[in-house]
Amino acid sequence: MSITSPAARTNQAPSPSAPEIASVLVVTQASLSLVAGLSAIPFGIVEPGFRVLSLVTILIAIGMFWLARNLRRQRRWARRWVIAIEALSLATSLLLMLLPIGAIRGPVPVLVNLAMPAAVLGALLSRAGRRAFAPASMPDRKG
Amino acid sequence: MYDIATDHAGALSAAIVLVVVLWLSVRVLRWLAGRRIGWAIRLFDAYAAAPAITKLAAALMLLSGGLHLALVPGHEGITALLFVIDGVGFIVLGIAAFVSRWWRRPAILWLVATILAYIVWVIAGWETPDQVGIACKLIELVALGLVMRLAQPGRRTWPRPIWRAVAFPTMTVGATIGIWVGGLAHPDALHAHAGAVLQPASAVATPTEQDAAKQLLAATRASIARYEDPAAAIAAGYKPGPVSNADPLRHFENKANANAVLDPNHPQALVYAQTKHGLQLIGAMYQMKRPGQWGPDPGGPLTQWHQHEGICFSPFGIEFSFETPFWTCPVGSTSITTPPMLHVWIVDNGKNGPFAADLDKTVQRELQGS
Repeated sequence: MSITSPAARTNQAPSPSAPEIASVLVVTQASLSLVAGLSAIPFGIVEPGFRVLSLVTILIAIGMFWLARNLRRQRRWARRWVIAIEALSLATSLLLMLLPIGAIRGPVPVLVNLAMPAAVLGALLSRAGRRAFAPASMPDRKG
Repeated sequence: MYDIATDHAGALSAAIVLVVVLWLSVRVLRWLAGRRIGWAIRLFDAYAAAPAITKLAAALMLLSGGLHLALVPGHEGITALLFVIDGVGFIVLGIAAFVSRWWRRPAILWLVATILAYIVWVIAGWETPDQVGIACKLIELVALGLVMRLAQPGRRTWPRPIWRAVAFPTMTVGATIGIWVGGLAHPDALHAHAGAVLQPASAVATPTEQDAAKQLLAATRASIARYEDPAAAIAAGYKPGPVSNADPLRHFENKANANAVLDPNHPQALVYAQTKHGLQLIGAMYQMKRPGQWGPDPGGPLTQWHQHEGICFSPFGIEFSFETPFWTCPVGSTSITTPPMLHVWIVDNGKNGPFAADLDKTVQRELQGS
C-alpha cells in the first residue's frame, strides 16, 4: 500500500533538491561573509590592510550570491566553482584547527567553518547533486 | 567573546542525542512500515515521498525544537515559557512538514518570530548571546532559507522576485548585526573590553593577596629596570613587535622566556610607549603557553589574567579586527584566541591599577604627548 501524502503533493519542488539546498547554504555563507567584510571597514581607518581585506571580502560575498543564483539555475560552471571554493574553505579550516591559535572553539565555528562547507560539498557531490547538473537535466536557458 | 553559558551546556549534549534520535526514529518507522502497520506505512510513505529539501528543513526545525526544550531547565519566568511554546511549535511544524499542506507559511512565521525574539532579548539584555544560542539561530536561519525556497513559483511580476531574492540574506545579515549589537552593549562581568576575557576570580582581595600583588609589582619593576633602554632589551633577546597605527604601545617579546610562569626575572614581553622623545618602558607582560591555560594569580582579583578572543588576525600587515558572532572574519584573516596574559604597569595607571588589561587612555595620551 502506498499513499501519496499531502506533503508529497504540495512539497514537490519545482527543481531538484540538491541545488536548492546548496544554494541556500551558499547564500547563508555569503550573508555571513558580507557582514564580516562590512564589519572590518571601521578597522580600516587605522589598519590600512583591512581596507583591502574588507573590500575583497565584500566582493567575494557578492560573487557567492551570484554563484548561489546560478547553482539554483543548475549551471555546471557554478557547481564547479562552488565545489572548488568550499573544498578550499574546508581544507583551510581543518588546517587552522590543527594550529594552537584557538581558531575553531565551540559549536558555532564548527557549524560555520566545517559543517556548512561539508554540507554544500555533500549536496553537490552526491548522486542527486551530480544528476541535477548532468547535461540531460539542464533547464532551458531561454526560460 | 562568545562562550558557552553554563546553563546552556546541557543543550549541546541534547543536540547530539537529538540527531541520533531523529535518525533512529526514521529507522524504526521504516521497520514498522515493513511490518505492515497502517499508520507507520502512511507516515513512512509521506516521509519517503518528500523532497530532500523538505526533510532537511523539518529535521532542522525538530532539532531547534528539541534544543529549546532542553534549555527550559536553565531559564525561568517568561523566557522558560516561551522556550516551551517555541520548542513544541517547532516539533509540531517539523512533523507537519510530512503530513500536512499548510505547514510552510506557519513555519516561516514561527522561524522569523523566533529569530527576531532572540535579537530583542539579546539587545534588551535579558539574554547573553552565547555559542549555543547563536548556533541555534544559525540552524533556524538555514531552516528559514530552505522553507522559503519551497515556495511554488508564483507571480513573476515586480516586486515578488526581488523580495524572494533579498528577504533571506537581509534576515541573516540583520540577525548577525542584532546579536553583535546585543553582545557588545551588554558584556558580562568577565569582559574588560570587547575581545578581552578576564580570568574568573573572587570579588575582593584578601590582605595576603594584596601583599602578594605589591610584591609582584615591586619585583617586576626592579627586574625590568635594566631594559629602560630598548637596545638593552634587544641585546637580551627581546624582539620589537610591529608598529601599528591602532596601538601606540609596542611589545618586545622574548621567545626564550616562553616556558617561564609569572617569573619577574623572565617576563615574556616588555611594553614600551611611543613618546615624543622615543620609546619609554612602561611595563611587562607575562603570558602562558596555550589559550585557556590561566596562570597563577597571587593577588586574586588584583592580578586577573586576560586572554583576547574573537580577534580576526591578518598576518599580511599584523593587523586586527573583531570577528562576527557567527565566527567569520574578512578573507585573508583568521580568528585567533591568544594565550592568557597579565600586564604589570610600572607607570601610574590611574584608577585601572597596575595589573589592568589595558593602559588607562588618559595615561596613554599623556605619555604620547610627553
